[in-house]
Amino acid sequence: MLKQIEGSHAVAHVVAQCRPNVISAYPITPQTHIVEELAEIVGAGQLDAEFVNVESEFSAASVVLGASAAGARAYTATSSQGLLLMSEVIYCIAGMRLPIVMTCANRAISAPLSIWNDQQDSMAVRDAGWIQLHAEDNQEASDLHVQAFKIAERTFLPVMVCMDGFILTHAFEPVDIPEQKEVDDFLPTFKPRHIVDPRWPRGIGLFADPRFYMETRYILHRALEKSEETIKEVSSEFAKTFGRESGGFIKAYKLEEADVVVISMGSVVGTIKELIDQLEEEGKKVGLLQICSYRPFPRHEVYRALKDKMNIVVLEKCISLGRGGILASDVRWSFPRAEKKDRDISSFVAGLGGRNISIDDLRYMVEKVEKEPVEFEFLGLKEELIAEKDM
Amino acid sequence: MEKLPLGLALDLRKVVPYETGSWRTLMPVNIMQTPPCNQDCPAGNDIRGFLRTLAEKKDYEAAWHVLTRTNPLPAICGRVCPHPCEDGCNRRDFDSPVAINSAERAVGDYGLEENLEHKKLIAHRKEKVAVIGSGPAGLSCAFHLAKRGFQVKIFEAYGEPGGMMRYGIPSYRLPNYVLRQELENIWKLGIELECNIKVGVNIPMDQLIQTHDAVFVGIGAQTGLTIDIPGQDAGNVFSGVEFLRDVNSGKYVDVGKDVVVIGGGNTAMDCARVAKRLGANVSVVYRRTRVEMPAITAEIDEAMEERVMFRYHTNPVKIIQDDDKVVGILSVQMELKEPDASGRARPVPIPGSESVIPADTVILATGQAVDYDGIEVHKRDNKWISANENLMTSIDGVFAGGDAVLGLETVSAAIGQGTRAASAIEDYIDGGVESRLSSPPVIYSKDLNTYYYNKKRRFQKEALPIHMRLKHFKELYPALDFEAIIDEAERCFSCGLCFNCGNCFMYCPDNAVRISEKTGLYEFDLDFCKGCGLCAKECPCRYIQMTLEK
Amino acid sequence: MREQSKYLEGVDKKDLFASGHRACGGCGQALAARLVADAAGENTIACVATGCLEVFSGPYPDPSWRIPFLHSLFENASAVASGVDAAYKALKKGPVNIIAQGGDGSTADIGFQSISGMFERGHNVLYVCYDNEAYMNTGVQRSSFTPYGARTSTTPTGNTTRKKNMPMLAADHGIPYVATATVDDFRDLQLKIRKALTIEGPKYIHILAPCPLGWGHHGELTVEICRLAKDTGLFPVYEIIDGKVTNVRKIPVKVPVEEYLKPQGRFKHLFKKGVPTKEVDVIQEIANQNIERFNL
Repeated sequence: MLKQIEGSHAVAHVVAQCRPNVISAYPITPQTHIVEELAEIVGAGQLDAEFVNVESEFSAASVVLGASAAGARAYTATSSQGLLLMSEVIYCIAGMRLPIVMTCANRAISAPLSIWNDQQDSMAVRDAGWIQLHAEDNQEASDLHVQAFKIAERTFLPVMVCMDGFILTHAFEPVDIPEQKEVDDFLPTFKPRHIVDPRWPRGIGLFADPRFYMETRYILHRALEKSEETIKEVSSEFAKTFGRESGGFIKAYKLEEADVVVISMGSVVGTIKELIDQLEEEGKKVGLLQICSYRPFPRHEVYRALKDKMNIVVLEKCISLGRGGILASDVRWSFPRAEKKDRDISSFVAGLGGRNISIDDLRYMVEKVEKEPVEFEFLGLKEELIAEKDM
Repeated sequence: MEKLPLGLALDLRKVVPYETGSWRTLMPVNIMQTPPCNQDCPAGNDIRGFLRTLAEKKDYEAAWHVLTRTNPLPAICGRVCPHPCEDGCNRRDFDSPVAINSAERAVGDYGLEENLEHKKLIAHRKEKVAVIGSGPAGLSCAFHLAKRGFQVKIFEAYGEPGGMMRYGIPSYRLPNYVLRQELENIWKLGIELECNIKVGVNIPMDQLIQTHDAVFVGIGAQTGLTIDIPGQDAGNVFSGVEFLRDVNSGKYVDVGKDVVVIGGGNTAMDCARVAKRLGANVSVVYRRTRVEMPAITAEIDEAMEERVMFRYHTNPVKIIQDDDKVVGILSVQMELKEPDASGRARPVPIPGSESVIPADTVILATGQAVDYDGIEVHKRDNKWISANENLMTSIDGVFAGGDAVLGLETVSAAIGQGTRAASAIEDYIDGGVESRLSSPPVIYSKDLNTYYYNKKRRFQKEALPIHMRLKHFKELYPALDFEAIIDEAERCFSCGLCFNCGNCFMYCPDNAVRISEKTGLYEFDLDFCKGCGLCAKECPCRYIQMTLEK
Repeated sequence: MREQSKYLEGVDKKDLFASGHRACGGCGQALAARLVADAAGENTIACVATGCLEVFSGPYPDPSWRIPFLHSLFENASAVASGVDAAYKALKKGPVNIIAQGGDGSTADIGFQSISGMFERGHNVLYVCYDNEAYMNTGVQRSSFTPYGARTSTTPTGNTTRKKNMPMLAADHGIPYVATATVDDFRDLQLKIRKALTIEGPKYIHILAPCPLGWGHHGELTVEICRLAKDTGLFPVYEIIDGKVTNVRKIPVKVPVEEYLKPQGRFKHLFKKGVPTKEVDVIQEIANQNIERFNL
């Protein structure tokens, strides 16, 4: 049923339809509306779950860790500093193969303090062993949660659904919220395989000495790589059940004919599509490759989609300080060494700390790379604010 | 190789524990040690054994069998033994010693009440052993030999068996029925007894030696020694042994109103208290002080309670008689000077301190000697029988023990000697075997971890009130409460032997103390023991000790 | 089979924390962990914080736990246990004993926030603190449970602060049951564990667990040291039921603190040629204050 609804609330309702047993979270902007709404739903008796109000994100993550290890379907949501505070636990959850689902309302990282959107936070834990799915809009954000539980519980890997803070979380858009029965049919009950239960005593979280540790990492790495299949499967199952495309690995927009390809992820792809349409009218062939699953990274998909494309530009809302674009590195790595040579892969960072990415900024970017490749550039930087010595 | 499970979540039911035993440099071992009570028991009783049996199993019958492994006369020893075991008891340093003597009596009495019987270890052996004297030494020797199947015959000079137990110890200390029953129980082992046969007089010693594989001489010290004092031939002057024998034999003895007992040993105490019970005023005359008196402390205390007068520093000079009848003794006061050869202070008369003590009867309890009539053996100090460490005398195959060897000693000491002699005789008959076991080291209270013991009041046996005692010869200490004795037995520290407290089992941080499926006892699992020593440190009774790992 | 020793009536020995752990000889914490597991019984989930206990008892593939064991991090045992509790409630499973366990660092320092949250939220979790008065796993660094005067690798001249009073802090959360215990009195310790597990809501039990390595005493003295800690007044043993201090263990014969300090290497510097320094007086004063406060 299509509803004009705030993104956070849409996500909350869909999460509730997934019937998590335990929800635990700590307030942080811009994630708060999600768990507030979930608290309302639980409080109203519409969802039979334990809602644990904790004293920190660290404990929120720990509570869902414990709950999941005890056999519960567990959910949490956070953002920015909260995610960094969780980071120790984030690694554990993955290492322990606990199928937890988390929403990350993407936000900038301090300092300076900024409550506004970029994607630095989820990037900071990209190596933790979680599946990271990025939503383009609130419909996809909602849909990805339904898929996330299914993917997590099939692969025993935790899933982080990333949605841009404010831009999505606080935006009112029409969202098709599924019927409970549809979700129930799509998402089977959780069948845990390794839990703490006195009837079958297990040791979970044992320490591994050098004889064993590396293999555990290998297994986790391979599990993430292999989750590609599950992510695709679940996405197509979802399309079959709900009649719309959501999630998956990558999505393409006007890619086939394109001379210049923009690669990005998250809500900014909406603006990019708008630009592509404008440029098309002007006779320029520009296409879009949208990364839906940032981890596992769709390396082969990216290569297959772009092997004929020689002018590629990566736009991202995060930066590896002292190094440059993070997504750009992932994209560059997707091409075999021999094919890298003559290909231009430009890298732009934009929208940090909530800076608006205007269609003009994007047009500037595309026009610039048409002329020559750009190694790395901050898009929309106000140079007038920067002292000479800091340039 | 086992494949790594999902999330490294391990099924704990399949864990094969990692063995940590190789970390050890010290290893715990169980070492049974000798408790001081056992060490100090002249009869060689397993005191800890019978007390623990009472405490743990509350089983008097089992305790009786533990005790009678060594001692055929527990009911008697439980009454007359001066219990050196209690002096050594490690509990002395904690609160007060375990009332071992009372416990022994209770166990002995239980045996009498329930007619418990000794068990033979070996049914029959053809070798014959003659035992001269049916006192505690002879009985003990006969008992142990009979249990081992030997053909034993006892020759007793007097009309009834028992030796000093029969004729020397007054019945308020040892009732006749107790003696009779314990002896009857011994006879059941098939020992032959012939009374009124004085070996050396009625039958030559050589004959016994020729007709038996071995002979044991347990003739005691039945002759009363008198001191050289004018007037000692007067009527109503007795030796202590003679006096006690007469009374115990039921002879009527008229002691008159005033009795003076000369001497400070156990015989003197017995004579004084017997005379008191015959209605006399009794004075004990002794040259030194109470401290030097050789009598058992408890006996002196009881005599004092019974209003026996003690005249210390007093030496009899002369027995004064009128018409051949004693009327008093002239005595002189002494003062003590530097010690003599015996180590006791040397009494020297104070000039002009003579006085007269009125007396109708004078008892000279001034020593006893062996009656060697017809028995030719080497002597020690020309007094006691000389025997080697195996208790063999100068005659091959003739062994000796008890007072005749030791000098004046206790029933328990005589029993111990009888036991040793029996073992030596068996070795002798079997031909030069020496079966002496070395006992493990003695454990003292400094070695114990007394934290785990609780303070508890010692059992106190109750004597008859004074006014009841002196009217008759009834036993001074009435029957003991069996329940109370079990409580008392629980006070035993079980020095040097596990009493199943479970400390090692509970405290081992490595769970390396297990209950053995075979024995049910605690055992060390050396696959896991790291040798920390906590079990040894917290073992209350030092049954666990740490040794260097091999 | 030998009868159960009458001295061990009411005591549990099931080896649910089994042999084969890598603790040092005489480890107080290993002993305590077994006493706790055995008292709690099979129907128990242990949520353990990183630390000595976890490291010596939880290596793959041969951990010592025979009850379900869940470990993730140093500072989150209480929160993980909260999650297990929430899961059991939500899944309508149980009843089950949930015991969060940690050393003094994970209780009083890095995990303090998490334990406070668990208490405040009212989870049905027993938290057991194994107090060995420093960070032993990492090489004996000072924690906020390190007592005055003790030498650690980060207080080489002796600790200058007093020990944080965790039982009182726990009680001030308004939780229904708080108790202290020591490994020498296993009966008392196990009684308290069993008692705590009958009470609904958060519980806190603080167990003094000597560390031979960190305290510098022989492994065989672990039990003896506990006794001295109690009998000097330095470690009061009591319960706090619904906010009221009760069942205080009376000291049978008071012992001067020197007897507790002297066998321990960490206090060796407090005696110059056997003569106590003024720090010993301060420690005696701490003991005296405890004696007065708890009427020991």
